[in-house]
Amino acid sequence: MTNALPTPSAAEAGARRFTWPGTRVLVVDDAITIRLFCRQILEKAGFEVIEAINGLEGLEQLLQGTIDLIVVDVNMQKMDGYEMLREVRRQPVLSAIPAVMMSTKSKPEDVDKAYAAGANYYLFKPIRPEPFLACVRLLTATVQ
Amino acid sequence: MGLVKAKIRKTKTGSGASDDMVGLSAALQAADPAERRSAARRLGSTTGCEAALLDRLAFEHEASVREMLVLSLMQLGTQDAVRGLAEHLRSEDASLRNAVVEALEAMPDAVAPNIELLLADHDPDVRIFACNLLVGLAHPDVPKWLSHVLENDSHVNVCAAAVDALTEIGRPDCVPALRACARRFPEEPFLSFAIDVAIARAAEQ
Repeated sequence: MTNALPTPSAAEAGARRFTWPGTRVLVVDDAITIRLFCRQILEKAGFEVIEAINGLEGLEQLLQGTIDLIVVDVNMQKMDGYEMLREVRRQPVLSAIPAVMMSTKSKPEDVDKAYAAGANYYLFKPIRPEPFLACVRLLTATVQ
Repeated sequence: MGLVKAKIRKTKTGSGASDDMVGLSAALQAADPAERRSAARRLGSTTGCEAALLDRLAFEHEASVREMLVLSLMQLGTQDAVRGLAEHLRSEDASLRNAVVEALEAMPDAVAPNIELLLADHDPDVRIFACNLLVGLAHPDVPKWLSHVLENDSHVNVCAAAVDALTEIGRPDCVPALRACARRFPEEPFLSFAIDVAIARAAEQ
C-alpha cells in the first residue's frame, strides 16, 4: 500500500533532520499499540509526545497547551478524527496546527474526506517509521 | 407486578399489538423527534418490530431518538435485532457505528453466534470493528476468536486490530497465536512492535 501523497524524499527528510527542542506532537488514537509505536519513533527522534485516546480528549489536550503537530486516527469512539479536525480548524487558536491523519481506510473518498476535514497529510495504516517520521519532520519544520 | 406487566407487554402478539405496531411504526417517521423517540421506546417492548426500528435507525440523525432506537433493539435482544445492528458496522457515520459497537458489547450471549460471520466478512473494516467489539465483549470465546484472526486473517490491519484487542485484555493463552501472526507478517515493523507489546502485557497477567 502506498501513501496518498508522495512520500517525502530521503533528501527532503534529511535536510530537516534537525528537530527543534521541545517540539510537541499530539498522538490521538484509541489503539494503545499505535500510540506506543508513534511515541517510540517520535521520542527517539527528539520530539515530545502527548497522547489522547479519542477526539474529545485530543481537543482537551490541544486547549491545555502548546501543540506543534497533531497525528490523529480516523475511527475512534466519542469523537472521531474527522470531527476533531473540523473542530480544530473552526477554532482560531488551533486552526493553524498542522495535522497528519492516519487510517486503515484507503479508498480515494476516504482520503478526500480527510483533507476536507483539515488534514495536511494522510498516511495509510500500518504506518512505517521512515515515511511517518519524514512527514512529521516536514510538517513541524514548516511551523517553526 | 411491574415485572409481570413488562412481561405481558413484551409478549404481546394479538391484533391489538399488531395495531399498535403499525401505529408506532408510522410514528417513527413523525416530524417531531419527541414523537419518534416515544414510538421507539414503546416498540422496544413489542416483539416483531425489529425491522421498523432498524429501518429508522439507518436514517435517524437526532441523537436522542437514535439512542432510543438502539436501546429498544437491545431490549428486544433477538437475533434479528443483533444482525440488523451489526449491519450498521458498515455505516460511514462514526457515531452510529460507535453506538452499535457499544450496544453489541452489552449483549454478549446474543452477539456470540454472529461473531464468526463478522470476522469472516468480506469488508476488512467490518472485521476490524468486530475485533474492536471483542475488547468489551464479556464472553469466554473472545481469546479463541482473536487467536483465529491472528492465525488466519490475511489483512494486516485486521490482525493489528486483534493484536490491539489482546493488548487491552491480556491473555497469556493467546501468545502462540501472536507469535504465529508475527511470522506471517515479518515485513511489518508496526505489527512486530505491537505483538511484542501484547506478549509483554500477557506476561504481566
